[in-house]
Amino acid sequence: MKRPAEKTFYDVLGIEFDASSDEIKRAFKENHQLYDEDSLVSYSLFSKEEREAILARVNEAYSTLIDEKKRSRYDQSLMETGVLKEGTKSQNGRRATPLLPDSERPRNNTILAIRDELKARVSSSAVIQEILGHDVLRGKDLKKIREELGVSLEIVTEMTKIRSIFLHAIEEDQYEKAPSGTFLKSYVKAYAQSIGLDAASVAGCYLKGMNG
Amino acid sequence: MAQIWPVGGGKGGTGKSFITGHLGILLARQRFKTLLIDADLGAGNLHTILGLYHPDRSLSDFINKKRLTLEETVLETPVPNLFLISGDRNKLDIANLAYEQKNRMLRAILKLDYHYILVDLSAGTSFNTIDFFTLSDSGIFVCCPEPTSVENFYRLVRSVYLRKIRQILKTYDFRKLAEKAEARNPNAVINNPEALLDILKEIEPEKGSMIESLLQSFQFKLVLNQVRKQDNPKIGIFIRKVVEKHLGLNIQFLGNVGFDERVHDVLCNKGLFTDKYPYSQTAMDLKALAKGIVGATFGEDGNRALPLPDVNTLSG
Repeated sequence: MKRPAEKTFYDVLGIEFDASSDEIKRAFKENHQLYDEDSLVSYSLFSKEEREAILARVNEAYSTLIDEKKRSRYDQSLMETGVLKEGTKSQNGRRATPLLPDSERPRNNTILAIRDELKARVSSSAVIQEILGHDVLRGKDLKKIREELGVSLEIVTEMTKIRSIFLHAIEEDQYEKAPSGTFLKSYVKAYAQSIGLDAASVAGCYLKGMNG
Repeated sequence: MAQIWPVGGGKGGTGKSFITGHLGILLARQRFKTLLIDADLGAGNLHTILGLYHPDRSLSDFINKKRLTLEETVLETPVPNLFLISGDRNKLDIANLAYEQKNRMLRAILKLDYHYILVDLSAGTSFNTIDFFTLSDSGIFVCCPEPTSVENFYRLVRSVYLRKIRQILKTYDFRKLAEKAEARNPNAVINNPEALLDILKEIEPEKGSMIESLLQSFQFKLVLNQVRKQDNPKIGIFIRKVVEKHLGLNIQFLGNVGFDERVHDVLCNKGLFTDKYPYSQTAMDLKALAKGIVGATFGEDGNRALPLPDVNTLSG
């Protein structure tokens, strides 16, 4: 158990360093369910002062993390004090700063437009068509297609909402790190769809490569 | 060695005996040799739940008269593989056990040979109750989604917590620590053992982290009983989160057990609820609990300790 003073805003809300804004909102709501004055769960556990202190901290954490600018400043300060390490980022799938600057972040209504553009590029690229002609697709093939299209893994993460470690595992054929069975299949489908490929056939070819 | 699971809950009427009795039956039917001990010393009624109305032996034969060994007080029940040490016929003053008597009982329980020993405890936070939890470092808390029950549940958890800290530290250390804590936060010692631990970690980091890791080894389970349709089904999960965050204890939430009007009728008609209404929500919930307990002790596959083969169920 960390002492109150050692707790980061992420600890306070009970979320990971790479939590999305939806997760932050959900955690905020849940924390109020836990600590509000009339909460069945905690009313008998804390004194009035303790409860007020906890709620103040929850509110402070929320208002900092929900604001992208304040959040990245806060993450920066965590890194400076060594609480959040750059090195731990890739292992735990944590990110210290937002994946993409706000302006570049694909919004829901733009995702479809991006996908249409990518579909056009897929059909016009000889390299990609050559790869797609294969019976079996490996992770490195997918990676090659993605790089050929000039799409970063971060963008795929944004569009599919699949954690980057899983996408990474798919590209590296590291099946032990990837989720199993049905999940893997649907992740590959989502990956393929996001970069303008035919989801079902790509997933089929990928699973063939995995079993063979 | 047996898995010892004390069952407590702070408040009376939450259904400790009901849960203990039915869990015992379900574990026994999965061919785990199971013993129920009615240690609700002043007000035991586990025998009634199991349909044994006038047992001729009870725990008090071991505690007071020293007439029998603990093993000799074990009764067979109508359920194969299920055994009971009854709390019936206990003397009226038995609720106030002397320290020596209690220790003798705890030592004897540790020597018994069963797969599971479920100990039905009395409500409240007397040392009789708390020491069963600190003895086995495990336990099942039965709580209802009601303010009174939740309140007493936290009280019980904190009492166990404080008792454990006290047992680990020597008396002198504890007094010294308590004085320091008192000086900083007058509420700490009585109400707030976690603040006590914080202060200890500050002044004696080594002891503090030792105690913290010992507290982490507690395997507490929480059961939310009598959950009505209108109750928030996530309360159990919320309680777990709060306990983990603020008391630093790991609690596994085993699940909700639905409220059922008919439990009352079945008790009055002296039957077993899971037999009378096997497909009711409540009965299904109880089965899921039993499964959760087996999973928690023997892993998902449940193969590590093979249940004893049981002649009665095989031939029947």
